[in-house]
Amino acid sequence: MRQPRAPRGSRRGSPQLRLRVGFVVIAMTLSVFGARLVQLQGLDPNSYAAMAAAEGLVKVDLPAERGDILDRNGKPLAGSIDGLMVVADPAMTAERAPELARFLYQRLDVDYVTTLNRLREQGSRFEYIARRVPATKATEVVDAAERRGFEGLDTRRDPLRDYPAGDVAANLVGFMGTDEPLAGLERTFDGLLAGTDGSARYEVGGGNRIPLGESTVTDPVDGQDLRTTLDLDLQWYTQRVLGQTVEGARGDSGFAVVMDSRTGELLAVADYPTFDANDPTSSPKADLGSRAMQDVYEPGSVEKVLTVSSLIDLGLVTPRTRIVVPPQLQREDRPINDWFPHGTIHLTLAGVIAKSSNIGTVLAADKFEQGQLYDYLRDFGLGRRTDIGVRGETQGLLPDGSAWTHQMQDRIAFGQSLSVNGVQMAAAVNTIANDGVRVSPSLVQGEATTGDGDVVGTDTTTKRRVISTGAAHDTARMMERVVDPDVGVAPGAAVPGYRVAGKTGTAQRVGEECGCYDGTFTVSFAGFAPADDPRFTIYVVVQNPRNGGGGGSVGGPAFAKIMSYALQRYGVPPTDTKPSRLPVEW
Amino acid sequence: MSSPVPQVRSRMPRVAERAVERARLTVVPRTRGQAARMPFVALVTLVLLGGVVGLLLFNTSMQQSSFAATALEGQATTLAARQQSLEMDLDRLRDPQRIAAAAQQLGMVQACGPAFVRLGSGAVSGRPCAADGSVPFRITPPPPAKPAALDPAPTVVHVTAPPPVSAGDSGDTNGEAAGTGEGQGRNDHKNQQHLQQQQQQQQQTRR
Repeated sequence: MRQPRAPRGSRRGSPQLRLRVGFVVIAMTLSVFGARLVQLQGLDPNSYAAMAAAEGLVKVDLPAERGDILDRNGKPLAGSIDGLMVVADPAMTAERAPELARFLYQRLDVDYVTTLNRLREQGSRFEYIARRVPATKATEVVDAAERRGFEGLDTRRDPLRDYPAGDVAANLVGFMGTDEPLAGLERTFDGLLAGTDGSARYEVGGGNRIPLGESTVTDPVDGQDLRTTLDLDLQWYTQRVLGQTVEGARGDSGFAVVMDSRTGELLAVADYPTFDANDPTSSPKADLGSRAMQDVYEPGSVEKVLTVSSLIDLGLVTPRTRIVVPPQLQREDRPINDWFPHGTIHLTLAGVIAKSSNIGTVLAADKFEQGQLYDYLRDFGLGRRTDIGVRGETQGLLPDGSAWTHQMQDRIAFGQSLSVNGVQMAAAVNTIANDGVRVSPSLVQGEATTGDGDVVGTDTTTKRRVISTGAAHDTARMMERVVDPDVGVAPGAAVPGYRVAGKTGTAQRVGEECGCYDGTFTVSFAGFAPADDPRFTIYVVVQNPRNGGGGGSVGGPAFAKIMSYALQRYGVPPTDTKPSRLPVEW
Repeated sequence: MSSPVPQVRSRMPRVAERAVERARLTVVPRTRGQAARMPFVALVTLVLLGGVVGLLLFNTSMQQSSFAATALEGQATTLAARQQSLEMDLDRLRDPQRIAAAAQQLGMVQACGPAFVRLGSGAVSGRPCAADGSVPFRITPPPPAKPAALDPAPTVVHVTAPPPVSAGDSGDTNGEAAGTGEGQGRNDHKNQQHLQQQQQQQQQTRR
């Protein structure tokens, strides 16, 4: 039998004493912790946070990728790619500057002398060598330089905006500056395209992220793509034909609009002269905008089709209405002449259009009551913006109220004394192609919000009947006579095998200096095909041709080329119906 | 309590009662012997050691995967940049301007007009014609105008033609001289025309 042991802890003092001592020790420790906590969190939290951040904490910007601008088939008009800038530290590069400059000149397409100077800039530690270099190329060059023993080169992020098709649709797409968009769709839809940058904070050790270390990531929101209604290939072709036309006519400038007759979608809006979107600074500033949207001009005889279609819609005339056209028409303030000298001739209304007689149109327009023509032109969309999403669009000039006098109406009836922009006028003529229903033009597929907060795009297309179907068909049949080789003024606009309806325009032009008609002209041709089931409406305008050509000889052939291409590209077969044989004389 | 106990007690002899009484008072010996410490200590040590080693291994593997992640991220960035560059090259190759230039170099010309063959019936709609390239199609802008310093106004030199020289020994040298003069005059004239043309072109482009 064992003796019971002495109670435990007899040597360690009484339990109560031990407990007390323990509590005191714990209390002391905890108050040290508490004091430290107050010190860290209460007294000066920021400096400690900063110290912690400096210790291996890395903050990285996660740039959002800018959305592409696409054509209707998804081909890029503008795209973003990862770019880098190559920078140098002259303190390290100065020693072997000539050698390095030669190397960079060969690899990076930079100027030798400028690079050399930058590489040995005194007292500088940072110089740009090349900007917006595709990332792969930049890293390749810097790596190659390092392998050859050059020191002091580095790369930094520098997003690169690329316009693969160069000048195609450049006037609409616009371009980017160093940091922000400067013109065109790039600027108008910047909110949509830009996206939101994100950021990431994490701890690194030896270049690697420390697992379980602090890490916060805000993901970037990439910009959305902007899909336009343009057709890249058709746009290119239109631009080249237009360029050739303007050069051939020795004109100042020109533009061409190709529109889908049924939907109002703009398939091409070409301007000439244009610029290379990859290098906008090498072109004059005047060429950087869109003349088709931003220039006002008087449409001339093309407007006659709006006048006579309104007259037909009112039931005041028919295509066979007989008109006696005198050699000259005396009106209140000045005589009205035709572009071709003639005696007294007997033309039908169709003949007035086919021969583009001002006098005949004015005589027919006398049947309007006060204000009627104004209302029709307004319904055709003149005098108000098309709001397709192009910056700085002009609304044109349509006199109203007291400005609309009888003399004014005479001149407006054949397209003078009012001003339009190109897309506006194309949409007006398209009303006749689209059975008398004006469909608002659009440049953006779906819908998008501009910088001004307007919602534009094909989803917001509006349709409004302006003239009756019958009036539209009658006008189209009269316009067919314009391209007739025997009776019309623009046989060059005919597309063999197709029924084409069109109208020439040769308008006096208001000079910039004097603010009066200065003897120069705006020549144009607007038309659509196939005439009995139109698919495309095309409008070509050339400013100030110096070869003496008119709308038929300058605009007509360009119209025919573009129309042929569009019909072929979209596989529109001829309708194989009988062409219009309206009489032009009686 | 239970019923069998009084029965047992009653059957016991009286003499044994005291002994039984004493035996009752004895402290019951501990039946549970002290458990061996070894296994427990070994177990705890094993658990602790296993935990530490496991944590170490786990940490190491996380570090390793962090290295791998960094390397792969770098690779992904490089590959993404490469893809973008290649896409840019592709877009450049698809540029209609380049394709048109290549087509013209191959001798291709514009079609003269749209015409269609209906595959079912073989009927032709439209007016087909042979593309003979008779309509020139310029795809590049005209060359930029020369600055005035490089394109000076033409110097016009009027040279009067000498009267026809009658055939004769004395006139031969004169004739030759005149001929040369005339030749120069023609050249000048050609040059002048050329220059004028250039100037005209230049003015066109300037306009």
